[in-house]
Amino acid sequence: MPWKEIDETAQSFEEAGVEPLAIAVVGAGAIGQYDAREAIKSGVARIAGVFDVNHHAARELARSLSARFYPSYHELLDSRQTEAVLLAVPHHLHKSMAIEAANRGKHVLVEKPMATTLGDADEMIASCKRNHVDLTVNFSLRYLPRNRKAKELIAEGALGDITGVQIIAHAYRERGYWIGGRSHSPDDWRASREKSGAGVLFMNVCHVLDYVYCLTGLKAARVYGEYATLASPAEVEDIASATCRFNNGAIGTMSASTIMRGPDQIEERIWGTHGTLVLCPDGLSFYSTRPIDGKRPGRVHTISKFSQLSCTAEWVKHFVHAVREGREPEISAKEGWENLAFIATIGQALEKGESLAVPRFTDRHEEN
Amino acid sequence: MKAGFYWCLIRFKAIFLLRRVYTAKRVEFLYFDIAHLERTELLGPGKEEIFVKTFCSLVSPGTEQAILWGLPGMRHNFPFTPGYSGAGIVLKIGRRVKGFQVGQRVAGMIHHVSHETLSPSLVFEIPSGVSCEEASFIVLGIIALQGTRKARIVPGDRVAVVGQGLIGQLCCKLARLFGASEVIAVASSRSREKISLRGGADRFLSLADGKQALRDLRADAVIEAAGTPQAIVLACECAGKQGRVSIVGSSRGLGRDVNVFELIQQKMLTVIGAHSSTMPGKDPSQTRWTYDQEGRLFLELLQTGRLGVSDLITWRVRPVNCNSVYEALADGAREQVGILFDWKQDETSIALERDRRDGAIV
Repeated sequence: MPWKEIDETAQSFEEAGVEPLAIAVVGAGAIGQYDAREAIKSGVARIAGVFDVNHHAARELARSLSARFYPSYHELLDSRQTEAVLLAVPHHLHKSMAIEAANRGKHVLVEKPMATTLGDADEMIASCKRNHVDLTVNFSLRYLPRNRKAKELIAEGALGDITGVQIIAHAYRERGYWIGGRSHSPDDWRASREKSGAGVLFMNVCHVLDYVYCLTGLKAARVYGEYATLASPAEVEDIASATCRFNNGAIGTMSASTIMRGPDQIEERIWGTHGTLVLCPDGLSFYSTRPIDGKRPGRVHTISKFSQLSCTAEWVKHFVHAVREGREPEISAKEGWENLAFIATIGQALEKGESLAVPRFTDRHEEN
Repeated sequence: MKAGFYWCLIRFKAIFLLRRVYTAKRVEFLYFDIAHLERTELLGPGKEEIFVKTFCSLVSPGTEQAILWGLPGMRHNFPFTPGYSGAGIVLKIGRRVKGFQVGQRVAGMIHHVSHETLSPSLVFEIPSGVSCEEASFIVLGIIALQGTRKARIVPGDRVAVVGQGLIGQLCCKLARLFGASEVIAVASSRSREKISLRGGADRFLSLADGKQALRDLRADAVIEAAGTPQAIVLACECAGKQGRVSIVGSSRGLGRDVNVFELIQQKMLTVIGAHSSTMPGKDPSQTRWTYDQEGRLFLELLQTGRLGVSDLITWRVRPVNCNSVYEALADGAREQVGILFDWKQDETSIALERDRRDGAIV
């Protein structure tokens, strides 16, 4: 019910106490449509326009949002109405479109992953910095109430010093997925290594890695792994496994695939000297030797009820506040880069058949 | 399920024995590395028991940590209620109990609990002039006293005390009282040097000073108060020819690779097993000091000011924070010596108030 949402949003601009950001949505596929609606829900953004090479899909989305349709990206960027662009396009376009937007003085919200290569990400960051615009990557799952609670528990010391991380992400993607069967603007870019950069790692696991980084404060220092394409009509990997050492010495393992038939298996387990925390789609559970959150130690406590919250709307809200207040976005370009660095290094480690150090942001960029 | 069973059981017992059920709080070891303050229920005193409200209880770091870590010889089932040295006040007395009265201050084998029903034989009356905090050292004092006595120190002896935890610190002070001309504290690190020198030691040596420095001590008597096989070897090395080595610590683990000939036989050492569990309770033998006699002497030493223990208290802590206490011990807690649970200020006073109103559950 887009009309109703827009009416509600008009009222919420005043409540938010911040001048709404005029965001143009680029890409009218399933993700672009979702992001646009969630941006409106954030209460701090209005949709300044929509563009997609598939004009039909773009017009439909623009009409449903009462926004303007732009027949070309350049016209969209020329518009003074547009303050920021939200790029929900194939991964290989992130770099060029972000740089163009930055050069026109537009802030950039880009879908994950930040780019297909670290070199592309470097150029995006440099361009945004040069043009004094902000850049953020949609790692909004960190705003899930479940993940926020997990962060609180870890900060309170439920786990002590973190010693291990295990990520399991197995699901099944039907053949149609690889040729855009789930999209309003079908395309086979997901199957192409050149266009998507990677398979399950870029499409799915990068989200998990982001919130594991966010919850624990750890960064991967070294990684090695295996990956393969075994049962999908794609160039990119459909199964991957990696082991990494984090910067505090903890060991992490990751196992993911998009070819596991039957029920999905999705779980993240983080443990330390004083406890263990398990995240799964049903909620979270934790065990601690310490009395945390008013809970008795030595028992497994499960929390399955969380408030309903749109994490994409939260992402937009945090970004708009950062732009208006002149500070770095909470999900910064640096964090997007670090996520990409980890995932890209897994691929390189496989190709070279050796363990590789994960590049550090500070080695290639000056910290502000 | 289990809790429900115990809820029924204690009430059944209460009805059957015509006793009351009281609520209390106690420190519990829930599992390895996990301590927590738990609510509990206990029966009021039987005919030959007393009911005590605890004011303070002293942590025995070595023993309690050994249980939490499941060290050899110290494996217990969980949950486990630790603590064996505390002080408090008598709230109720069984009909057949003699020599105690309500309101009397007592110290003895009291767990880390807010209230305890126990046999009067396990506690001593606290003499006037001795605070509950000081008196709560009673059982650790007895352990140190009997171990120091067994080292047969005579005036002029040079005495080394290996291990500078709570027992070691008490042994230093007692060795001085027994007439040692010099007391040398020996520890694995220098973290407790100040407190040792402030207490009873004249000199302090750490392992970093090297084996030769320890051998050069040539002590007439050595008291081992660390509770490890390695410390026993170290104690023997500190002893001079014909020296006496009193092994006080509860030595957990197995010692191997000991050259008994060089370490003990060549030096003609007398090695004395001095674990407190070997003491007779109230046996009035004239040749041996009993637990009861040592306890009374310890309190007398405190009362007359010949022995002070207040300086050994490094941490007064509310029982609700017990988890942090044992975590700190697990992390080494080298700066801590005497850790005292203060039950007076705890919410367990609610139970006391309830008792005063005679509002027992059954």
